[in-house]
Amino acid sequence: MPFYEKSEDWLHHSSLLLAARPSSTRITTKYHLSPARRTPKNATPEQAAEDAKKGVRGHLVITTFDPKSGASLKYKTSKAQEVGRLVQMLGNLAGRAAGNIAGEQQQQQLKKEEGGQDVEMGEGAGAGEIGGVATPTTASAPPVSQQAGGGGKGKKKKGKR
Amino acid sequence: MSKHLSQDEFFTALTALFTTQKQTQKGTVLLSQKRLTYDPSQKASSPSPEQQQQQQQQDEEQEDPFLSLSTPLPPAPILIRATNAKSQEGRKEGKKVKLSTVVQPDELDAFYLRYAEVCKAGMSGLKPRDRTKRKAKEKARRKMKAQA
Repeated sequence: MPFYEKSEDWLHHSSLLLAARPSSTRITTKYHLSPARRTPKNATPEQAAEDAKKGVRGHLVITTFDPKSGASLKYKTSKAQEVGRLVQMLGNLAGRAAGNIAGEQQQQQLKKEEGGQDVEMGEGAGAGEIGGVATPTTASAPPVSQQAGGGGKGKKKKGKR
Repeated sequence: MSKHLSQDEFFTALTALFTTQKQTQKGTVLLSQKRLTYDPSQKASSPSPEQQQQQQQQDEEQEDPFLSLSTPLPPAPILIRATNAKSQEGRKEGKKVKLSTVVQPDELDAFYLRYAEVCKAGMSGLKPRDRTKRKAKEKARRKMKAQA
């Protein structure tokens, strides 16, 4: 369940997950707002007014979650200027999930990248991956069991960070 | 089960959701999006366990991650949901707000443009861009000019 430092990283890994499991992956956006300072119940009105002046504090967490493999990729921010860009990313991912043509081209590109990563992961899997799904899977090799393949996929993304 | 709203209704309701959150100065707005594969016509009669198993097998075959990479994805609409994340107690009191809309693949771009506008306007509790550094620089420049 990694939190990514950069939204670009989140986008990249989310698109990989989405390409692997387009129909079960969902993307949630949580916008939470809370007072900047919590007013105690027994506070005087002046104190309460002062606390209210502090305003509110909000944050935004975007999560890509696939219930089948249990992979969950997150990005958190509290900057207002990122909202536009993040929604654009959501739109981009939605386009891929919907199977739009632009998304397919990117998927093919991703597929190539994925091929490279699989080799890399094959080596990494030997070095003690959790869960015992250490079968190095390449795009050409048939997966031993589909669920195990999926699990490996999720872990692969977790292992990257 | 509530029905999906039209996009216009969805945006109006979402704006209202953001506004109430802003007024109370706390709370959550939860948005989610996923590919809509549910087909109500398939679920007309409840299938027998055998059929279910078959269906599951088929699903798994379809879900083969490598297969889905090699074959292009058939177009499907996107389901967008929004809630205020109220718990079960809130639900009993009728405080839970649930909205949903379906966006067709060719409408996605237009939808997300509006979606971005609504989100930008609604998420005003986030930190604005820090301009203090730039202002300080400008001040310093003005001072230099005044001295010269």
